[in-house]
Amino acid sequence: MSAPPRPQEGGEPGPPRRLPGELAFCALLLGLSLFLLWQAYGISGFESLTSAGMFPMLATATMVVTGAVFVVQSLRRGPADSSGRGHWQSFVARVTPPIWFGFTLAVCLYMLALSRLGFVGASFLFLLLSMRLLGSRRWLLNAGVSAASLAAIYVVFQTIFSVVLPQGSWVQAVFR
Amino acid sequence: MMQALEYFLMSWTDPYLLFLTAAGTFAGIYIGAIPGLSVTMAVSILISFTFKWHVNEALTLISGIFLGGVYGGSRSAILLNIPGAPAAIATGLDGYPLAKRGEAGMAIGLTTVTSVIGGFMGIAALAVAAPALSEFALKFAPRDYLMLAIWGILLVGALSGGSLVKGIFAGALGVLISMVGLDPMTAEHRFTFGQVQMTAGISYVAAMIGFFGVAEVLVQLHELKTRAVRQDVSRIVPSWARVRKHLPLSMRASGIGVVVGALPGAGGDIAALMAYDHAKRSVKNPTRPFGQGAEEGLVAPESANNAAVGGAYIPMMTLGIPGDAVTAVIIGALYIHGLKPGPMLMIETPHLFWFIVGSLVLANCFLLIFGLTGIKLFAKIVETPKPILLPLILVLCAVGAYAINNNPVDVYWMLGFGIFGYFLKIYGFQVGPVILGMILGPLMDKSYRQAMISAEGKPAQFAAEFFTSPLSAVILAALLLTIFSQTVWWRRWRGTV
Repeated sequence: MSAPPRPQEGGEPGPPRRLPGELAFCALLLGLSLFLLWQAYGISGFESLTSAGMFPMLATATMVVTGAVFVVQSLRRGPADSSGRGHWQSFVARVTPPIWFGFTLAVCLYMLALSRLGFVGASFLFLLLSMRLLGSRRWLLNAGVSAASLAAIYVVFQTIFSVVLPQGSWVQAVFR
Repeated sequence: MMQALEYFLMSWTDPYLLFLTAAGTFAGIYIGAIPGLSVTMAVSILISFTFKWHVNEALTLISGIFLGGVYGGSRSAILLNIPGAPAAIATGLDGYPLAKRGEAGMAIGLTTVTSVIGGFMGIAALAVAAPALSEFALKFAPRDYLMLAIWGILLVGALSGGSLVKGIFAGALGVLISMVGLDPMTAEHRFTFGQVQMTAGISYVAAMIGFFGVAEVLVQLHELKTRAVRQDVSRIVPSWARVRKHLPLSMRASGIGVVVGALPGAGGDIAALMAYDHAKRSVKNPTRPFGQGAEEGLVAPESANNAAVGGAYIPMMTLGIPGDAVTAVIIGALYIHGLKPGPMLMIETPHLFWFIVGSLVLANCFLLIFGLTGIKLFAKIVETPKPILLPLILVLCAVGAYAINNNPVDVYWMLGFGIFGYFLKIYGFQVGPVILGMILGPLMDKSYRQAMISAEGKPAQFAAEFFTSPLSAVILAALLLTIFSQTVWWRRWRGTV
């Protein structure tokens, strides 16, 4: 995997050039803000300064103004350094590399599987496969850690805090 | 006087009450450390099986859970950069960089000691100045709450070192997300897009787990090959010299915590951010730059959020008004036991007041003991190889989001916010203001509308009231100073550009 675009967390200075996809992301946020402003206006228009839609309009208007500011700021910073690659390849390599994409897909499938396979089944499968995907090759260790962790989570949430964890529609159908 | 002392010491001398306080504090620390398990949730569940108990037994357990839980949120913030509670958001700003350097043990030790100092300050204020502080808190008008909430959101954006414009955007986005659902005043639909499931709104806990937990896991995927930093846990208890060095800041931050905690609706989250801001402005030579592992960045928010616990009890005990969500639940518990929190509580049942103060002091002592133990086990978490740790965190996030309402929809929200949060982080946006915006949005909406109604819907009168009230003028000045201090003109004036 190529060097990641170090996310700009607390205190780190911003890069001199914008990151791949940054301008598109900022433009998307601005577009979303405009859409939400229109939606906020649709709640109650300008009928009163204390109407249900007034504060959402203030919030979305703030988003539109600030969104426009960072689109301009992003434009000023110049295009991303693609190091000889196409813009799309550069975005994939630095922002959504294959392992990121694979793991995110696994997470999405896990969330969907929760209601079908139940918490225990879906989580165990997810843990086992994603640990392997991320590079942990010791299957026995992975299985042991997964089982022990799930047992601890089950005891804390289901037994102590009475959280009814998903049983799974497929599992219930089998044992009905 | 002797009677007050007798009630104060009741939970210290009765072995069963002593045990319940210890158990509550211990459980609170671990509940607070698990994202998705909130103190409010724990206290609510406790009430369901303590309502048949004697009131003293229920109160000792609740006091322990409350104090332990507020502190516990800092552990996951330091070790994983996932705040266990909103009050620990500020702690993660410097705590997590310290864990990345292998100094998690020192960070947790210092956090524990300063939390205990803050806790004692809050309890002392409750015992000594409860009536006076309550009267001061009542002077806050809706417009003051509006400004206080805006200030809190701006602070988290400004404090985390990012762009103020992006911080404002993120805060406004959080406010907007909090508006989803039915308007509490008129029951009009806001951003529900005709979906029945959307009328209940979006849980800020699901969003918090998504923005901090899932997004952080996705960011960490870029650093899979980085070897886990070995944590130094050989010296957990901070030296007296170190504590003495930070004591003045801890005391000042505790003062902020008490006052903010005593404001109805403003809890430890705002208190911690304000204290962090105070530290950033007042400490000239921090141990490291703020945001990169400054000890002062741990001391201030942790002193403040635990001091806010004592502060939150003040309006609850003297006025019957909850200081935060947990005290709102405790008020419910007191009603269940036939007590009426408010001015008459102090007159009719003064013993209860001193009993609660005594229980809080005892819980704070247990906090010191339990806070300084078990750190080695916690530190092992960050030493776990990332291919094993990251999937485990994700499962914990999923179950935490699900536990909010036993509803898979919250898990989908968490995932959506997590992926969105990943891109926000990558492109330099702060996610803290989104969460603060979600938490404070309803308060801002309500306060804005109340303030506008009191100004008879006239914008000029609404604006004028910010200047005619001395209290409002002071808060407005502080708010404007926060904005101005992020501008290039301020940096030029301070000679930092």
